[in-house]
Amino acid sequence: MIDFGFKQVAIALSLMVLAIILARWQKVGTEKEMAIGTVRSFVQLVAVGYALEFIFGLENLFAILAALLVMILVGSYTAAQRAKKMPQAWRIAFVSILAGSIVTLGLMLVLRIITPKAMYIIPLGGMIIGNSMNCAALVMERLHSDITGNRLAVETALSLGKSWREAISLQFRNAVKAGMMSMLNFFKTVGLVALPGAMTGMILAGASPLEAVMIQIIVGYMLTAAVAVTGIVTAHMAVRRMFTRADQLIV
Amino acid sequence: MKALENTNSNHILKTADISRTITRPETKTIVDSFSYDFKEKQIYTIVGPSGSGKTSLLRLFNRLDEKSGGTLLFHNEPIENYKVTELRRRIALVFQIPHLFEGTVVSNLAYCCGDSFVNQLGFAEKYLSHVGLPANMAERDPNSLSVGQKQRVALARSLVQGPEILLLDEPTSALDPGASRTIEELIVKLNRELGLTIIAVTHNFEQAVRLGGISLFLVDGHLIESGPSQELFSNPGEELTGRFIKGELR
Repeated sequence: MIDFGFKQVAIALSLMVLAIILARWQKVGTEKEMAIGTVRSFVQLVAVGYALEFIFGLENLFAILAALLVMILVGSYTAAQRAKKMPQAWRIAFVSILAGSIVTLGLMLVLRIITPKAMYIIPLGGMIIGNSMNCAALVMERLHSDITGNRLAVETALSLGKSWREAISLQFRNAVKAGMMSMLNFFKTVGLVALPGAMTGMILAGASPLEAVMIQIIVGYMLTAAVAVTGIVTAHMAVRRMFTRADQLIV
Repeated sequence: MKALENTNSNHILKTADISRTITRPETKTIVDSFSYDFKEKQIYTIVGPSGSGKTSLLRLFNRLDEKSGGTLLFHNEPIENYKVTELRRRIALVFQIPHLFEGTVVSNLAYCCGDSFVNQLGFAEKYLSHVGLPANMAERDPNSLSVGQKQRVALARSLVQGPEILLLDEPTSALDPGASRTIEELIVKLNRELGLTIIAVTHNFEQAVRLGGISLFLVDGHLIESGPSQELFSNPGEELTGRFIKGELR
């Protein structure tokens, strides 16, 4: 069993050096970005590693919740940055990611799939928040572009006496589907094209492949539930901000 | 063909000082203190140069947009008191560019009111004949229709709702002169035969004259003057109207 530490990281750095040399040789123009990325990812991940070591050491529920809250705040901000045209995008992303996280992590705890320990909640929470963030951003972007891009169709339906809900039912469905697409695709190719991250990590850490597979299946189900909740909450909150109470399209 | 004359009819839509101010991309009043009372079973044309607020005004009548101020009464009742979906069925709007939904002509006709309508004997025939289209067009794919035919299907579709007022936003601007005349004749026919109140927006004063009825001339969101279309545009009372007729305002 190999112990991974700074020594191994330093050796692995040679791979980045090779990539940068290749990029420079082929004049791809990404060398600077790659160099910055190398340093940045190292600093960020090492900092997170120490922070997690600290939180794991505390084993305090409030510290765990605080860490999750920070992750949700950063995730909502990032999602909102990607869906800038959506009114109150930050608030929508925050509530929907929070909902996705509470429902899935809560159920996992209630059903005793995991115990309330930092070593379970923080990494799983990170996965949930990361996937929910992408889902919220995608749903907001898609909903906004589909509704504004089909303004005539939507307003025609409204003018024919349909409610806003009926007028945008197709766009609503497509946006939620777009938000969940990565998870649906994941199920189609999982294990066939690539071994997923959690499973790979567990195998590298010395777990038996079968145990790693079980965890991965749980993670897959958990993330699907999270993006379903986040996607639906996002879509509901977003469309309410695109119409007035008198069913008038305002974006 | 002449529009239905009904000088003794009641007011169906009353407006007092209605305005609409938008804040994006800049703050601008696009309808400014508009006041006018529309009688039922009449044809009205709202005429004016581009950017004069004609379409913006029309969209206030069925609450597709919200007015910023003033009073708008439908049958002497503030429009806010109506359920908005009901209001829009009674005050139908046909857009400049017709949008037909995926499906068939008949599924479009039944869009407002569900499949039970489609199953009624002679449903499609009845509404297609209102707009001068043959009954065998019912099963056609809307994508296979010309723009003129699409506009007529859009008109027929709005009739299915049983509207009392038909709002038409530049209904012929996307059509060639021949198809435009057909639509104009159809508008007059719908007014005459179905007793519909019609409020049509146009930038073409000659079209307003051909449609007959009353014209309202609008510039920069202001109502400049109104009167019988023929009279208004042959003998304008305001300088701006005269300049518009000469083509100095576009």
